[in-house]
Amino acid sequence: MSNPRERLEHEQVYQPAEDSQLLATTVTDRISPTDRVLEIGTGSGYVASQIVEKTGATVVATDINPHACRSAADKQIEVVRTDIADAIKGQFDVVVCNPPYLPTDPDDEFDDWMEYALSGGPDGRALVNPLLEELPRLLTDDGRAYLLVSTLTGIDAITERAAEFDLLVETIAEEPVPFETLTVLKITQKH
Amino acid sequence: MKESLMDILACPLDKEPLDLSATDTESNDDDTEVLAGELTCTECGTVYPIEDGIPNLLPPDMRE
Repeated sequence: MSNPRERLEHEQVYQPAEDSQLLATTVTDRISPTDRVLEIGTGSGYVASQIVEKTGATVVATDINPHACRSAADKQIEVVRTDIADAIKGQFDVVVCNPPYLPTDPDDEFDDWMEYALSGGPDGRALVNPLLEELPRLLTDDGRAYLLVSTLTGIDAITERAAEFDLLVETIAEEPVPFETLTVLKITQKH
Repeated sequence: MKESLMDILACPLDKEPLDLSATDTESNDDDTEVLAGELTCTECGTVYPIEDGIPNLLPPDMRE
């Protein structure tokens, strides 16, 4: 971390950790070169760049954090600064997201961009729920979303909420880490 | 941003199409890279900047 920009990026952008790696390895096996992929909340751009590198698919990414957008753009990722997918239209074969999923005390929230990247609100689902609501318009008929969450986020509650939008939820990868199990959910539309 | 990204961008407020006005571009083999410019909603007229190649599609009240 030699220059101020790199330092700012490390302080203000969530850096790849076990969750990012689990998501990246799980999705790259399931994406083909012809898939159109949207990553919501790309952060450092790590997962998006892994998808491009390992699958050759076309990836567009979003983030609300300007430092995250810069970091992803520096990795040659097409990035749009927007809240979730507010400025994105059209449909994608694959939607990937590692949302803020940790239940967080409201008093601790939103002081800076890093906090925003981690905090999932009181129940951990403050960002997951609006994302589920957006999926039906973002996915092609056979499209699938891959969502990285944790046992702390409440997988049953996510599944119930998803059903309200005619979405099916399936656990496809798990990795135990201290105090929680990281989980990749595959979400598809009911036909 | 690549000019072809316009196909999947919409105004975040009303989801209507955007007009691109580029002030700095770079030509690549297959696509034009837009480095600076503005996106204007064809319906509500809200203007969104493209800075350093990144379109900022946050509504005006959400920008810092």
